[in-house]
Formats: sequence, structure tokens, C-alpha cells
Amino acid sequence: MFNINLPMLVIVIIASIATLIPRFIPYFTPLIDKIPNYIKEMLSILPIAALGALIFPFALIDFNPNWIAGLIGVIIAFIFGYLRFNMIVSILLSVVATYLILMIL
Amino acid sequence: MKSVLVNTIVFMNKILTQKDGFLDGFPIFLGYFSTAIAFGLICRNINISLFNSTLISMTSFAGSGQFLMINLLSNGALIVELFISILLINLRYVFMGASLNQRLPKNITRLKKMIVAFSTTDEIFSVAILKPQQLNFKYLFSLELTSYSGWVLGTITGYIIGIALPHNLQLALAITLYAMFASLWGCETKKHGYKIIIIGLTSALINSFFILILNIAIGWSFVIAMLSATIIGSFLLRGEHV
Repeated sequence: MFNINLPMLVIVIIASIATLIPRFIPYFTPLIDKIPNYIKEMLSILPIAALGALIFPFALIDFNPNWIAGLIGVIIAFIFGYLRFNMIVSILLSVVATYLILMIL
Repeated sequence: MKSVLVNTIVFMNKILTQKDGFLDGFPIFLGYFSTAIAFGLICRNINISLFNSTLISMTSFAGSGQFLMINLLSNGALIVELFISILLINLRYVFMGASLNQRLPKNITRLKKMIVAFSTTDEIFSVAILKPQQLNFKYLFSLELTSYSGWVLGTITGYIIGIALPHNLQLALAITLYAMFASLWGCETKKHGYKIIIIGLTSALINSFFILILNIAIGWSFVIAMLSATIIGSFLLRGEHV
């Protein structure tokens, strides 16, 4: 299933290191205070900017040729997220919608 | 008026206890628990073992980073791409850590500092940094442990719920990962306005173009799309606090 031919344990450790480096740096080095504000601002936007690329195109590819089911699932989750529903509720409603569309198609 | 003032001063000077950490951590516990259920479900959906799923939550303890990891893994990214993408999406912790570090007691040991550093997440940071009192390790540790247990227990719970679901529904479950990003996107749009939609669509379009038309590897395509949308976003949102 995965392209990566490494044991899962190694992947887990590498992911953990990538998470821990930015967490540990500020506590053990004094460099951070010199970083300009606009870079700090950009880094706060980064996780939001990632969202679109995390969804598309794979939400459609995964359901090919019934990509419309994936698209509707994404739109439903977006709407309920916008309406401030709990995340797990939004996800479940999206699953139900996708399930129903797949049955119709 | 006088008594209000006295109360405020008493409140300001009250030393934070383990119990305070637990009480502040409880809402985070609930939020993490439900989000981690989604993570557990998704892990099961792409055939990662219960052991490995739990291990990911225990060693990373990072919502967006972990979901990104699973996304890239299931779509066949290379390990270098995985590493760089996770590093980039977690870079914001550098700044959270920098401000939290200034609020720690000066005599805190290295080991305790490492425990605090390990559990810097968006939510724990926000709760801790807004405390008017001097932060201490006892408080932070119980705040972090409460949140951490929500994250790990939620992952296991989600995974086990997944086993009980009927086969047909499991096909539709491929949407869970994307639904979780989409609900976050909707939530951020509510908070910061329509510009968030534009930023998200930018990275969506760039990523789709690279993958579908140019056949660029998923990991690099993601990194480029994310960075371009960030630059565009920083112009769009200039001066606004995100």
C-alpha cells in the first residue's frame, strides 16, 4: 500500500523527530527572538494554507470514477465546520452523505 | 469596588496547582479525544496497525502533523518529503515555545523543560500563555498529561470503533481524513473570513495542477502548494492576527 519501503516503526520515529525539532529548539537555543515578525506571521498562516492541498486532488482521486461523492463529502464537512459543529459530528455527517451518494451512483 | 480589587490581587497571586492543570486540561481532553477518534478511524482505514497508530499519537502528539503524515503515507510520499512536510507544518511550535519558555521558572530542570517542550501544542500553549500567574511545572505537567491522555485514548477508541463498522460504510470512510481537513477549513473561514477560502483554494489548485497535469511527486507538490498559498495568504491577511 505504501511507497515507502521502510518498517512502519522507522517512519513513526522520523515523523516524531520532525515534530520534536521545532518543539525543542526554542527551549534550548536563544536564536528565536531575532526572527522578524512577518516570518512569524507567515508561519501562523502555513497550517491554514496546507488545508486545501491536503484535501485536493486526493479526495476526488480516492473515489474515482465517483469523484462527485468525495466532493460532496468535503463540501458537507466544510459547511458543518463553518457552522461550528463539533469536528467528529461534521466528519460523521460527511461520511453519511458520501455513503448515500455512493449508493445512488 | 475595594473587595473586587482585593479578589483580583488574590487571584493573580494564587499559585497554580496540579488541580488547576487538570481543570484547565479537561476541555482540551474532550476536544482531543474526539479529534483523535477521527485519527484512529483513519489509521484503521488505511491499514496501519492499532499498535502503530497508538505509537504515532504517543510519539508525535500533534494533530495537523499526524493527519498530514497519514495523508502523505497513504498517497505514497517519499520519506524525505514526509520529513520536510511535517517539519514545515510544525514550525509554528518554535514561536509558541519561545514565548512559553519566557514564562517558565528560571530554576526549572532540563528534564522538566524537555517534558514541557514535548507537549507544546496549539491548545496547551493557548491555555498556558493566557494564565496571568507565574507558570510552574506541576501545573503545566497536569495540564499536559490530561490533554495527552485524551489524545492517546481517543486514538485507541477510534480504531476500535472502526472494527465494528459494516463493510459498505467502510468504503465511504475514505472521506474521513478529507472531511476532517474540510471541517477545520470551514471553522477557520468562520473565524477569519472569506479570505481563508481563497488561501485554501490556492493550495488546492496548485497541488491538483502539479499532481494531475505535471505528475510531480505528491510530497514535493504538497510542499510547494503549501508554501505558495502561505505567501499569497500573508499578503491577503496582512495586518490581521491569525
